[in-house]
Amino acid sequence: MIASGIKRGTAELAVLSVLEDGPLHGYEMARRIEEQTHGSLRFTLASLYPLLYKLEKRGWLRGAWETSDTGRRRRCYRLTSEGKKRLAPIRREWAELFRALKQLTKVNHA
Amino acid sequence: MPDWKALVEERLASLVLEPEEKAEVVAEVATHLEELCQGMLRDGITEEEAVRRTLSRVGNWRDLQRKISAAKRREQPMKKRVWQLWVPGLLTLILSMLFLTALYRLGLRARLVSSGPNAILLYTPWLAGLPFFGALGAYISSRAGGSRANALFVSVFPALALTFAFLFMFPFSLTAELITGRPVDFSQVATVLLKDGIGWIVVPGAALLTGGLLAHALLSRRSSSQRTAIG
Repeated sequence: MIASGIKRGTAELAVLSVLEDGPLHGYEMARRIEEQTHGSLRFTLASLYPLLYKLEKRGWLRGAWETSDTGRRRRCYRLTSEGKKRLAPIRREWAELFRALKQLTKVNHA
Repeated sequence: MPDWKALVEERLASLVLEPEEKAEVVAEVATHLEELCQGMLRDGITEEEAVRRTLSRVGNWRDLQRKISAAKRREQPMKKRVWQLWVPGLLTLILSMLFLTALYRLGLRARLVSSGPNAILLYTPWLAGLPFFGALGAYISSRAGGSRANALFVSVFPALALTFAFLFMFPFSLTAELITGRPVDFSQVATVLLKDGIGWIVVPGAALLTGGLLAHALLSRRSSSQRTAIG
């Protein structure tokens, strides 16, 4: 498991990346992030929802209530064009950081 | 299974939001918990254990409440505009005008660019300092959360203020001359307008904008690297 301090910084990138494939509601977003990182990144609700609201306020995400086939109402989030624009530089910066850490710590699979 | 909506409502009772917004947050969190619990039940976990695990995924309820309130808090749009536009804009204007007065008192005079009747008067020592004031205005606006457009508007604010002063001053003086019966040479007025416009608006505006663009570029680079910082 990754320490909580590191996770905090990666949360924004994780949410934006998982939404790149299409709109998702909070539960599905958290499930996919956990699944795709093999459980290394697991969001508590106390970290997921404040982040979603913050990104929505920044205009990077847009949330809207949708009703599923089963009649359940969920709030789905999608990336806005501003969010899509922001994702590329954030990805680049994280890649740079991982490269630097890899060199520094001599870890092969950082 | 517990009534998730009632449970969330009770745990987030002190959430300070508008009733409609609060109801949406409660519904969203409750739906999440319900789906999480149902997923565990489908995986064959006992109801008691599923409820326990679901609740553990909330983290700290007080923390959730505090963070949601902070994330949803809205600033007054007027207050925001004052700090992102008008305060830094007026400060840029006042400082650049004080700088001009100080230079004048120190005996540093304007210089003529080219010679002849179409020579333009440029206050070069003033122009040299303007990028700094443009940068300062853009910095204050960006620090207050202003957008790129806000920061650049603030940086060129002194040039915009001078444009308004020119637009007001010339019709006023023309009217005064017409009333007093003095002959008005419109071609001469147009030449003066153009020359003074270049010397007092266009060139200073470009100097201010250069500073504003530089400050904004530096700040954007810094804030994007801070966003990805660990912790």
